[in-house]
Amino acid sequence: MSLSNLLNDWTRYRQGIEEGGFHDYEHIFGMAIDLNKCIGCNACSIACYAENNLAVVGEEKFAKDQGMHWLRIERYWDEPDLGADDQEFQEHGASFLPMMCQQCNAATCEPVCPVAATYHTPDGLNAQVYNRCIGSRYCSNNCPYRLRYFNFYSYYETSWPAPLDQQLNPDLSVRDKGVMEKCTFCIQRIRVAKDTAQREERELVDGEFTTACAQTCPTSAIQFGDLQDPNSKVSQLWKQYQVKLGTTEQSKQNKELRGYRVFESLNTEPCVMYLDRVREV
Amino acid sequence: MHINEKDIDENIKWAEINKDVLKSMENPRPAYWVAIGLCLAMLSVAVVAEIYQYQTGMGVTNLNNPHMWDLYIATFIFWIGMSHSGTLLSAILHIIHADWRKPIYRFAEAMTTFSLMTAGLFPMIHLGRVWNMYWVIPYVTDRGIWPNFRSPLVWDAFAITTYLTSSALFLFIGMIPDLAICRDNAKGWRKKLYTVLSMGWRGDDRQWRNFRKTYMLMACFLIPLAVSVHSIVSSDFAMSIMPGWHVTSFPPYFVAGALYSGCAAIITLFILLRYFFYFEKYMTIAIMEKICKLTFAIAMVWTYLNLIEFASIWYGHDMVSKELLISKFTGPYSFWFWLMLFCGSVVPFMLAFKKYRCHMPTMFVVSLVLNLGMWLERWMIVTPTLSLSYHPFQWDVMWPSVVQWGIVFGSFGWFGLLFLTFVKIFPSVSMYEVKEMVYHRKREAGSAASEEGSAAPVKNEEGNKATPSGSGTPGLEGA
Amino acid sequence: MSKCRIMGLFSDFEEAFCAISDIKEGKLSGVSIDDVTLKSPIEHPEIEEVLGERSAPVPYFTLAGAIFGITFGFTFLSSAQANFLVQPQGGKPVVPLPSNIVLTYEMMILFAVLFTVTSLMVCGRFMTKRSSLYSEKVCIDQIGVIVEMDEADLESTKELFKKHKVLEIREEVKQ
Repeated sequence: MSLSNLLNDWTRYRQGIEEGGFHDYEHIFGMAIDLNKCIGCNACSIACYAENNLAVVGEEKFAKDQGMHWLRIERYWDEPDLGADDQEFQEHGASFLPMMCQQCNAATCEPVCPVAATYHTPDGLNAQVYNRCIGSRYCSNNCPYRLRYFNFYSYYETSWPAPLDQQLNPDLSVRDKGVMEKCTFCIQRIRVAKDTAQREERELVDGEFTTACAQTCPTSAIQFGDLQDPNSKVSQLWKQYQVKLGTTEQSKQNKELRGYRVFESLNTEPCVMYLDRVREV
Repeated sequence: MHINEKDIDENIKWAEINKDVLKSMENPRPAYWVAIGLCLAMLSVAVVAEIYQYQTGMGVTNLNNPHMWDLYIATFIFWIGMSHSGTLLSAILHIIHADWRKPIYRFAEAMTTFSLMTAGLFPMIHLGRVWNMYWVIPYVTDRGIWPNFRSPLVWDAFAITTYLTSSALFLFIGMIPDLAICRDNAKGWRKKLYTVLSMGWRGDDRQWRNFRKTYMLMACFLIPLAVSVHSIVSSDFAMSIMPGWHVTSFPPYFVAGALYSGCAAIITLFILLRYFFYFEKYMTIAIMEKICKLTFAIAMVWTYLNLIEFASIWYGHDMVSKELLISKFTGPYSFWFWLMLFCGSVVPFMLAFKKYRCHMPTMFVVSLVLNLGMWLERWMIVTPTLSLSYHPFQWDVMWPSVVQWGIVFGSFGWFGLLFLTFVKIFPSVSMYEVKEMVYHRKREAGSAASEEGSAAPVKNEEGNKATPSGSGTPGLEGA
Repeated sequence: MSKCRIMGLFSDFEEAFCAISDIKEGKLSGVSIDDVTLKSPIEHPEIEEVLGERSAPVPYFTLAGAIFGITFGFTFLSSAQANFLVQPQGGKPVVPLPSNIVLTYEMMILFAVLFTVTSLMVCGRFMTKRSSLYSEKVCIDQIGVIVEMDEADLESTKELFKKHKVLEIREEVKQ
């Protein structure tokens, strides 16, 4: 076993050098989020809480930035002059940025984990193995997006008082203290879809699986799918807006074309594309 | 060469050296027990804090999403840094045959070992699941799981293990001839202990010959090792992509900082030992002056590396790093940042003046202030980057909780406890090497005298030599 | 004829060296320089000049340790990485040379040091029982010269020691 493993890994390594890119992934799950459609309603975040057994930490701990919201809606006031006197809560000019783990292909969190608790799956996903995590929190420190969340306490003890514990999703675990966690692109749903496809001896079909946030979004701002499937909605959106993996900047000449990835210049290869025009401030 | 004061009085009798050092290991005075009690009290603060943190979770430290690391890692680097001077300086000075190292290297190396043992605790304390800490060790399992050898934290684990093993062995090997002396003079449990530890030292030429080569070879390996250890610790930061961490000059900067804080700590302990153990004969002002000059030089290197870091960020014009640098000077951490620069770059100028260098109480305070500066340096490396990094939405400022402060505070008690135990069980001044120093100094003085044609060739009195008590100093005939 | 050993204690190196030089020049019949052991409280560079080259093979062990550390370290790391079922790649190759160099370097030093210390224990004949000739004064300030010779030469050796102002002569107690 080990020798074949070694040879397989070596072959992958050689291929990676010779062919470049992400050839050996079975899928590359990605997202396209249309910021012009986003109304900042936070439904995606709520859906994520429900789907992924996210702990509700309470006001006090949330205020201390110890919350567990895998998907957060970031609110920016991009036209500060528009609003009322109060700079914190203006009347107009808010824009929203839903941020979840960007599932970077060259994830900065992966090489720094001392125990390889975070690694890359053949699905092109950046997976977090809770059972392996020892809580060094280096991954979070090295994440430029700050999208990893740490179980600072045994949140489960107070998070779901009975009968709320009955609503926990049985498809995935509840995490204890000392473990890092983050958005998984609802890997349990992908898993089900893949298993069904395998049982029926067919390829995975676009649309038979989606993430909780994409499912919930009232304006369909979030699209989720396989970037390696050329017919999926996501890969068509990526193609339409000329956002490609393997680039570090958007050099689109056509001003009508929206689309960027966050901190692309850091070469982390995120799999989430945001649709909005990049503006100079 | 004109020396105002000698490093050591070369007329000290060898038997007297033995007696003085052995005396320092006996009969602890009340002050010793008070110190032990103080250290235990400090340590118990940390133990209570750690138990609370272990039971409740890392949240009690006030760590939060942008601030995943804070004082624990800063103090870890601080202790690692402290561990550098002892062994590194001892090895360098040994290789260049600077014999003034001989009276002071033993406690400095002990300081190395113990501060490493303190430092090694912090990566464990800061783990969310400390009970799974052993997963960092590469052991074979049937699950085919290994630690991630790409991670600088695993490099840390390797480097610290190597450094702790090597420096403890270096300390131990260098102590064997002295342990033999202890063995010959001890009674009771000490006799048993020293008999085992001295490993059958007989002092014959075969042992000395191999000993000398071993010691030299270990010194040769320890110099690059010590440099690599702190470079690896700096890789925790330099290998990341965060602004303020991803700095090319970090390895030399960390090594300079390490030497700096280590030298300052040597000064502190030097003064304490000199005062409490009456080691004025061995830990002389002249040696103190040499360490102070060395510390001053290293302080200037550190200052330079600080400036070069600022300059390269400034002219590199990476906006994120630049804004972080500006906010270090003006933002929420500006007080601590300026205090660090004051303690680390301005205060050491006191070392440039002989008046202060020779005044022990002043030097004691100065050395503590220098180490305060170096601790602040580590804090200012770790925390501002986390507070103000790439993603503006997650900008935040955090003040560490009492649990963190308690554990940091207690780590000094732990170090103190180890060190206090050491000085009463092991000779904190190297007896055999002080004898070497005295012997060679005397020969040099003798040959200098005869070259000058001085009419007074230094010779031992015949009577002294014939005393069968064996208290005679080696003579200088034929010099 | 049975062999016996005596030790003379001298108050300084010069006298001990003179005594050894005499043995070296053959003034003591039947005793060669190889039968002489010198005990001293300090490590003195001139001991070797007087006694002549004697073997101290520690550096060879260090070299062996360093080479072992490099080969074992690198083989161990790269085979562990290649066998790893999950690949925490982060866009990096399976066996990344730059980071492996760091750990290989540490392993080299670790094993070099361990081999060195072990060889010191072996080559220096540590952890053996001290003979009855052992004198505590050697650890204080006296220089001991141990000579192994036939019993017949005992007296002449003693004479030679006395000529060089020996402080004390110890003889091995016969069992």
